Amino acid sequence: MAEINDKILKHLAELARIEIDPKNEAKFLLDFKSILGHFEELSNLDTSGVTPMTGGTSLKNVAREDEFNEIKDQGKGVEAFPEAKDGYLKVPPVFE
Amino acid sequence: MDIKGLTIKKIHHGLVKKEFSSKELTSEFFDFIKKEDGKINAFLSLAENRAMKQSELVDKNIADGKGPGILGGIPMAIKDNILIEGLHCTAASKILKDYKASYNATVINKLNDAGAIFLGKTNMDEFAMGSSTENSAFKITHNPHDLERVPGGSSGGSAAAVASEMAIAALGSDTGGSIRQPAALCGTVGLKPTYGAVSRYGVMAMASSLDQIGPFTKNVEDAALLLKTLSGQDIMDATSAPVKFGDDLLNPKIEDIKKLKVGIPEEYFVEGLDKNVADKINEVVKDLEKLGIKTKKISLPHTKYALSCYYIIMPAEVSANLSRFDGIRYGHREKADNLIDLYKKNRELGFGPESKRRILLGTFVLSSGYYDAYYGRAQKVRALIKQDFDEAFKDVDVILTPVTPTPAFKIGEKADDPLAMYLSDIFTIPVNLAGVPAVSIPVKNNKGLPIGFQLIGKHFREADILGIGQFYEKLYN
Repeated sequence: MAEINDKILKHLAELARIEIDPKNEAKFLLDFKSILGHFEELSNLDTSGVTPMTGGTSLKNVAREDEFNEIKDQGKGVEAFPEAKDGYLKVPPVFE
Repeated sequence: MDIKGLTIKKIHHGLVKKEFSSKELTSEFFDFIKKEDGKINAFLSLAENRAMKQSELVDKNIADGKGPGILGGIPMAIKDNILIEGLHCTAASKILKDYKASYNATVINKLNDAGAIFLGKTNMDEFAMGSSTENSAFKITHNPHDLERVPGGSSGGSAAAVASEMAIAALGSDTGGSIRQPAALCGTVGLKPTYGAVSRYGVMAMASSLDQIGPFTKNVEDAALLLKTLSGQDIMDATSAPVKFGDDLLNPKIEDIKKLKVGIPEEYFVEGLDKNVADKINEVVKDLEKLGIKTKKISLPHTKYALSCYYIIMPAEVSANLSRFDGIRYGHREKADNLIDLYKKNRELGFGPESKRRILLGTFVLSSGYYDAYYGRAQKVRALIKQDFDEAFKDVDVILTPVTPTPAFKIGEKADDPLAMYLSDIFTIPVNLAGVPAVSIPVKNNKGLPIGFQLIGKHFREADILGIGQFYEKLYN
């Protein structure tokens, strides 16, 4: 299994859109090492030929008809937005 | 009036016989909460105006000869990750401190229709991640049995509210034990239904393949009554199942219960299990035998791998589910120069350390190069753990285990050591991985801190575990 270091931690933080306060970095690394160390026990287990369990249920997916539904009033969802304009969610520009 | 010792059935009879009105009862509860909660901190917010209006409606319906139904006028507390339209819903996170729910969760609609009263929203570990309720961004909840100890978590506020009689019942969510563990530590009944039995629409998703909503109650009968109302298929939750519980859920018969065979898995009686907890579980075994139930030793051989398996799968799902909290759609938005910085700034300021830890851990186990070694392998181990239960349930109907290795620990005792905190869930986690139902029931005849025992059932056989529970309680009535 894998070693974790500050470089990997920074990369993960970037992927997860989280900034880690430099003064907490050492503690994060220490905790990660102990948690990942615990996971080592899984490598002793023979899982060859086991079908992975990919969800919590054995129910099969049921697809419904793809019907067109026009929603004119976005309603209270819009009221919960931090910023809205004309019933739409306002976001900072993606492209400058 | 005295609200101590009330249960769902007692309130129902009181309302039917007009011994008190729903309004009188509801205002008694708010008076008591205002006196009591200063030292316990079970609630994050109260919904007094809304609740009083609900109670007036219940009284009007009674006056008009309509009802009350069995849940009419029952004062309940709701975990703060379950949406009630118009009320704050924070999941105990700073990132949602200003968010008000724009719709009702399905469970809330069902309870509303049944006439239940919502007193307020309860404290929890942030986004339901923790085992002590110490990860709340807003307050620390105290165990009503010893204020220096934790109530358990993540649904610690709901457990403490019922245990201190500030609510008759409460809702919580259980991903790895978040209903059963606090129920055990606070001395209440806590039920995690079968995966799919109760709709999760309107509960903030933590780990979607594991989450279930369930009740905290003062006795097993009340848990069965609530499950009956809460359960059922919902078009808004594709994982909900077309389940319809039969009469045996509410009216178990001793002749049926006697026929059940209970297995006791040796893997749950291991190093780290408090001796007093082990002794009490053995007393429960004897009590069940007194009822005429046969017990036998069984094996769930992959139990010891459940914790690692869970702490890979759960953070993986958490990292995906919590990506929606970025300052764009919900609550407060911190300003930044560009979009990426806006995400980062909101998430940095909004999430507590445990949420960040799990998001980063989940990102790690899913990332390229590590996926097969961690996430892929954990999904296979999960299949083996479920297979253990499938095999065991060919031989027995119900499995009896401890809920927690120890009674409630001290506030602060495990706060700095995430692995030690995770280990407090070792007996509850396998149940979520397998998707089976389980209930935590307080051990009777116990003088010290509360201790719970866990009954695990076959898929959708809540009637078995709650049936045994009801007859166990009758031994001590």
